[in-house]
Amino acid sequence: MGFQTDAIHAGQNPDPVTGAVSTPIYMTSTYAQDELGVHKGYEYGRTHNLTRQSLEKNIATLEKGKYGIAFSSGLSAENAVLGLVKAGDHLIVSNNVYGGTYRLFELIMKDYGLDFSWIDTSNPKNVENAIKENTKIVYIETPTNPMLNLTDIRAISKICKDNNLICVVDNTFMTPYFQNPLVAGADVVIHSTTKYLNGHCDVVGGMLITNDDKLHERFRYLQNAVGAIPSPFDCWLTLRATKTLAVRMKQHQENAMKIAEYLQTQSYAKKVIYPGLPSHPQYELAKKQMSGFGGMISVDFGEFETAKKIMNNIKVFTLAESLGGVESLVCHPASMTHASVPKEEREKLGLTESLVRFSVGIEDVEDLIADIEQAVKKL
Amino acid sequence: MAEKTKEQIKIGGIDETKYSMDTHLIYGKSVSDKWDYSHHVTAPISSSTTFRLDSVERGAQGFMQFANTEEFGDKAPIFIYDRLGEPNKDMLEENLAYVEKGEMAVSFASGMGAIAAVLGILTKPGDEIISHNTLYGCTLSLLSNWYPRYNIKWSPFDLTDPANIYNFVTPNTKVIYFESPANPNLEIIDIEVVSKIVKELNKDRSEADKIYVVIDNTFSTPFCQRPIEHGADFVVHSLTKGIGGFGTDMGGAVIGRKKFQDVLHLYRKDFGAVLNPKSAWSILTYGLPSLALRQRHQIKTAVRVAEFLNSHPKIEFVNYPGLPNRKGYETAKKQMIDFNGNFAPGSMIYFVLKGATPAESKEYGIKFMDYVANRAYTMTLAVSLGHTRTLIEHPASMTHSVVPPEKLAERGLDAGGIRLAIGLENPDDILLDLDESLKVI
Repeated sequence: MGFQTDAIHAGQNPDPVTGAVSTPIYMTSTYAQDELGVHKGYEYGRTHNLTRQSLEKNIATLEKGKYGIAFSSGLSAENAVLGLVKAGDHLIVSNNVYGGTYRLFELIMKDYGLDFSWIDTSNPKNVENAIKENTKIVYIETPTNPMLNLTDIRAISKICKDNNLICVVDNTFMTPYFQNPLVAGADVVIHSTTKYLNGHCDVVGGMLITNDDKLHERFRYLQNAVGAIPSPFDCWLTLRATKTLAVRMKQHQENAMKIAEYLQTQSYAKKVIYPGLPSHPQYELAKKQMSGFGGMISVDFGEFETAKKIMNNIKVFTLAESLGGVESLVCHPASMTHASVPKEEREKLGLTESLVRFSVGIEDVEDLIADIEQAVKKL
Repeated sequence: MAEKTKEQIKIGGIDETKYSMDTHLIYGKSVSDKWDYSHHVTAPISSSTTFRLDSVERGAQGFMQFANTEEFGDKAPIFIYDRLGEPNKDMLEENLAYVEKGEMAVSFASGMGAIAAVLGILTKPGDEIISHNTLYGCTLSLLSNWYPRYNIKWSPFDLTDPANIYNFVTPNTKVIYFESPANPNLEIIDIEVVSKIVKELNKDRSEADKIYVVIDNTFSTPFCQRPIEHGADFVVHSLTKGIGGFGTDMGGAVIGRKKFQDVLHLYRKDFGAVLNPKSAWSILTYGLPSLALRQRHQIKTAVRVAEFLNSHPKIEFVNYPGLPNRKGYETAKKQMIDFNGNFAPGSMIYFVLKGATPAESKEYGIKFMDYVANRAYTMTLAVSLGHTRTLIEHPASMTHSVVPPEKLAERGLDAGGIRLAIGLENPDDILLDLDESLKVI
C-alpha cells in the first residue's frame, strides 16, 4: 500500500463490535475476565489497550516495521532503549542529539554504570573506531537537532551488523514520510510522536518501531513493567494526526525550502543550515537517504543580540520549545532545548549563542517570510 | 462453555430490583443484549461519525430497523451514522430511563434540544400548550417567540393551584408543561394532583386529543424527585446541570413511555440536536455514578445556606423547598424524596434583598452580586447550576432576560431576585463568603 493509504487505514479496521469506522477511545483501566484465567486477551489498561494498539500498528506500518511500542513521551521511549543494556555496557551516541537525550544518558544513566561515547557519527569511520568490547548500541539522530548534521544510516547499520550491535535511529525530524531507517538497515526507530507525527502541539508521546521479534518482546515487557504508557485519548489524537502526515510534511518542506532559500540571500543570516540547500555539506547524502528535507532550519545570526531581537520581534512564529506542529515555532537551542549540554560541548558543535532554530509550520509561506522581514527591520 | 461464560459476564441471572438506586446509578440497567462491551469495565468512547456495513442488505436492514421497535423489538441496533445512534448515547439513555423510572430515554444536544423535541412530537399547528407562569427563560422564549410562527398557542397560568387547569384547558390543549421547583423562584407544583386532573380530562378525549403532562426535572435531578412515579407522562432534563454535575458537557434528555421512543428518534434524526458521544460518555462515566454523592452533599449545604439567609436581617425573603412555612412546603415534602425515602429539597435557592422599593432591592442585589463576582472565592457569578462550584446569578438580567421589565411580575420574577446554585464546596466557606458579601450593602 502507498504511504497515504497506510496512514489512513493501517491498524484501523472498523470496530468489530459496532462497525465504527473511526477507532473508539477505549477508556478503561481494567477488563472483566470470563473466569479465572480466561479472558479476551485484555487484562489491564497498562498492558493492553485497543486504541493504543491501533496507533502502534499504524505508525509501525508507516515505518515499514512489524512492531510499534508506544510510550508516554519520546524520552520514555529512549529510556526503554536503555532497557536493552545493563551496567558495564557501552553505547556510541551522535555527539549532537536532542539535549534531553544527552541529559538522560550522560547526566542520569551514566550513574547507573552505563558508558557513553559521544562522537561525530557523520563520519562512519569514527563509529568503527569507537567500538569497544562492551559496546552494545549505536544511537544516532539524523538529521541532528539542531545542527542538522546527517549520518549515513546504511553505513552505520552495516557496521552494527558486522559487529553485532543494535542500531537505533531517532527519526523524529524526518518522519517515515521522508526517511525509513529500518529499510536502510537500522534495528530500531525511535520517535517523539509529540512532533510531526502528532503535529498539532496537543499531545506528548513516543514510539519505538522494530522488525526484530526479540527486541519487540523486550520492549513490550519494558512498556508494561516500567509503565510509561500513553493515554487512550492521546493515542486517539495521534492516530487522527497521522492521517494527514503526508500532506503536512509536503507543506512543511515546501515552506522550509522557500524560507531557507530566502534567508540564504540575506546578509544578517550568517549561516543558514537546511539539508535541502546545496550549500549543506551533506547535501548529496541528504538526497540519497531522504526523500525530502523536512521543516527544520537552523540559522546562525552571528551575534546573540541580533538573534535575541529577531526572536523577540517575530510574531507569526511563536517563541517556544518543541517542533513539528502545524504552527511555526522559533527557539534558542543554547538556552532552551540544549541548555543541559555544557557550553564547551555546544561550542564545539557550532551550537552558538547566536543560533536560532526554526520549526517551519504550514501557514502561508508569504506570511512567514514577511514576519521574518518585519522582525529584521527592527534590528 | 464460551456461551456460558458470556452469560456470566452479563450477570444475566441477577435480579436488579433488589439493589438500591445509588448502586443503579453506577451500573444502570446492567444487563443489555445490545452490546458486548461488558468486559470493558468502563465503556469505550465512541468516536466515529459513520459505521461500516457488511453489505447493502445489512445497510437496508439497518435503515428499516431504525426507529421501528414495534416491528423489530429492542435487539442490538445496526449502527449506521452517529446522528441516528451510537453506543455511548444508547448506554446513557438506558441508565437515564432507569433512574427516572421511565420506560425509555432519548438524549439530545442540550436541555433546550430535549424540550423542543418533546413539544415537537406532541403538538401541531392549531394545538395549545398550557404551562405554569414561571419557566426557564429560553423555554419561555421557545413558547412565546417561536411557537406562534407555527400557530401553536401558549397560555401561561398559575399552576400552584392545579384547579386552575379547568379554567385554561381547551379542546386544543395537548400539553401541560411545568417545572417543579420552578426556575428561578422555586415555586412548587403538585405533580400528582396535576397528573390526576389530566387523567380525568383524558377520559373524555380520543387518543389523538390526549393531554400530556411534561415536567422539566432539571432542578431536582432524579435523586430528589422522579415525576413519572407521581404520574407525569414525560420528564425532560438539561443533563448539563445536576446530572452531568461537573460543568464540562452540554446535554439533554426526554424520558417517558416506550411508545414515544421511535418518534423521538425520528425527530432527533431530522432536526439534528444530537448529543455528542464524548459528552454522553462523560455523563455516563462521571455524572450519573456520582449523582447521589454530590446531591446529598449539596442538599446538606443548601439547607444550611437557606437557613442562614432566612434569618439574615438584610434579606426580604428566601425561597427554598426545604424551609417550613413556605407555600408548597407540604407538597415538596411529599414529592421531593430521595432514593432512601428522605426529604430532598434540592440545591437551588432563590432570595431577594430588602429594599424600600423593588428598584432599591434590585440595586442592592446587583451591588451584592458584583461584590461576590470580584471578591468571593466560593461563589462564581455565572449562569447554569448543578456544578461543582457554587454559581450565583441575576435571573432578570441573565437566565430570564427574555422577560421585559414590565412583565417580570407576570412571570413570577422579582426585579432583584437572586438565584443561588449550591456546589460541592465546604459549606462553612460558602457561609463565610455570603456573610462577608452581605456586609457591603
